[in-house]
Amino acid sequence: MTEPVLRTENLSKRFGGLTAVDRLNLSIPSGRLHAIIGPNGAGKTTLFNLVSGLLSADGGHVFFRGRDITGLKPHEVSRLGIKRTMQIKSVFAQLSVAENLWVTRNAGKRFQHPLRAAARDHETRERVELVLEQSGLSALADRPAGTLSYGDVALLEIGMALISDPELLLLDEPTCGMSPAETERAVARIKQLARTVDIVIIEHDMSVVFEIADDITVMTQGGILASGRPDQISGDERVREAYLGRPEDEDYVEDVINA
Amino acid sequence: MMTPHVIARVMLIAFGVFLVSVPWLIPALLNPFWVSVVAEIMIWSLFAASVNLLFGYVGLLSFGQALYFGFGMYGVAIGVATLGLSFWPAFGLGIVAAVVIALVSGILAVRLTWHYFAIITVVFSLIFYFFAVSVKPLTGGDDGINFALPPTFSIGGYTGSFGDASFQYFFILATVALCFFLMHRVIQSPLGKAFVAIRDNDVRAALIGLNVYQIRLIAFVMAGFLAGVSGALFAFFGRYASASYMFYHVSGEAVVWAIVGGAGTLFGPIVGTTLFIVIRELVSTHWEHHALIVGAMAILVVILAPKGLVGLWNEWLLRRGARTAGAAVKTKLQTEP
Repeated sequence: MTEPVLRTENLSKRFGGLTAVDRLNLSIPSGRLHAIIGPNGAGKTTLFNLVSGLLSADGGHVFFRGRDITGLKPHEVSRLGIKRTMQIKSVFAQLSVAENLWVTRNAGKRFQHPLRAAARDHETRERVELVLEQSGLSALADRPAGTLSYGDVALLEIGMALISDPELLLLDEPTCGMSPAETERAVARIKQLARTVDIVIIEHDMSVVFEIADDITVMTQGGILASGRPDQISGDERVREAYLGRPEDEDYVEDVINA
Repeated sequence: MMTPHVIARVMLIAFGVFLVSVPWLIPALLNPFWVSVVAEIMIWSLFAASVNLLFGYVGLLSFGQALYFGFGMYGVAIGVATLGLSFWPAFGLGIVAAVVIALVSGILAVRLTWHYFAIITVVFSLIFYFFAVSVKPLTGGDDGINFALPPTFSIGGYTGSFGDASFQYFFILATVALCFFLMHRVIQSPLGKAFVAIRDNDVRAALIGLNVYQIRLIAFVMAGFLAGVSGALFAFFGRYASASYMFYHVSGEAVVWAIVGGAGTLFGPIVGTTLFIVIRELVSTHWEHHALIVGAMAILVVILAPKGLVGLWNEWLLRRGARTAGAAVKTKLQTEP
């Protein structure tokens, strides 16, 4: 069996009396798009924060391709090739779209040159133009990122994750707040990305999850409730009760099962 | 057609020509006293640029830059008066002292952000202010240190010295211009882009792989360097050093200059500093409450033009540029068959 791309071992995080992530043992194999779902407060984003180094764990370990990355700083985790997007869209608002990509591409370098003109870096500029084109953002290249529409910011986020040649991409609700058309665009993009990059995605939109995920893990109260292929998950009684059983989602789950 | 780029270029050249011609132009038009006012404005602009580098580009609001100004000043004064150094070693001592203390205090300060950062910078500058006031044998306390000017350099028979008003002016101009040029280069560099990324969103900056702490520390030391150079120049300019220039009041003034002029723009500190020093020179002889004007203007600018006067100007240029570009597109469309 090959080494999982991401593995946690008894990973725990407490906020005061609340245990957000509770002795979590998760193993995510390489090459399959993995979705993490669960009700609000299940600890999904906390898990991402622990992996990416924004939070430090109270116990347990995180392994990236077998390497223990517990306790590394965010920039150190990032330089290993683990990139993430935030649930609340967060780009560099006063930089232009192209500059956002530019600075992301260069951020992994240990040495930030203090005197050479950034504009002279042709290699990076060509790469930025390529990603602009792939993301469909070429026309907006010079716009300050803070003035973009929500859907375009999300595309920029994915572009930023992509331009740094990630090995593992953590997407935290990438389609949250998007219009149906924007969601469709983003989903297509994510599916295309998944062919070359390992992706773990947190998503609330069940239609998106069942469309793109190869495997699904359901979290509740900081632990794993169930894990398996989409059809196993949608058939799981406990999952239906705890999560999918809500009326507004039920119809859709039925559709998926019957389809 | 004057594009924004051309307008900016022309203004920069005009500004440069004006600065170079000041020693002849100003005595002819006004009186020689104003030449030294312009020299003083340049020194304080550099000091305001130090605040601007931190606040305008990295997003750290320091109310303690006077500490590094003071170290630059005392480095020169103690170097000349106590250690008997000549001009360049004393100049170097002032700058090195400022950079070293910026590094030491920065290691602690840049762990914090926002108001915590502002407070710790004030605390550092207060600690050293009271220290400087109390160790009278070394610093002269409130009276400060007066010293006799060493010559700057001599080539053949010519001796350059701050005693010569024109030499003093051009030396200050050259030094300040060099510092602004360096700052410009830094802002345009990959490091400068990283500064702005951290200012905009430090969490995100860390997630894309920037070492936020290290880059903030680099910026802090660079700002200490700019403040140190301005303090060293001011010591030569005034032939003395005093603890009163380390008080946080001085830091606060530079913050106001930088913000009113336009934080996050290269020339903002120059515009803000010029405005307030000219007001001070014109009004203070007639009306002792000139600080009221400064306060009122600061409030107005912060409310009406959050990006300062240079920010307003840049917006105007951009709009003009968009208009001319729009017009160009229109004519192009019309000429097409």
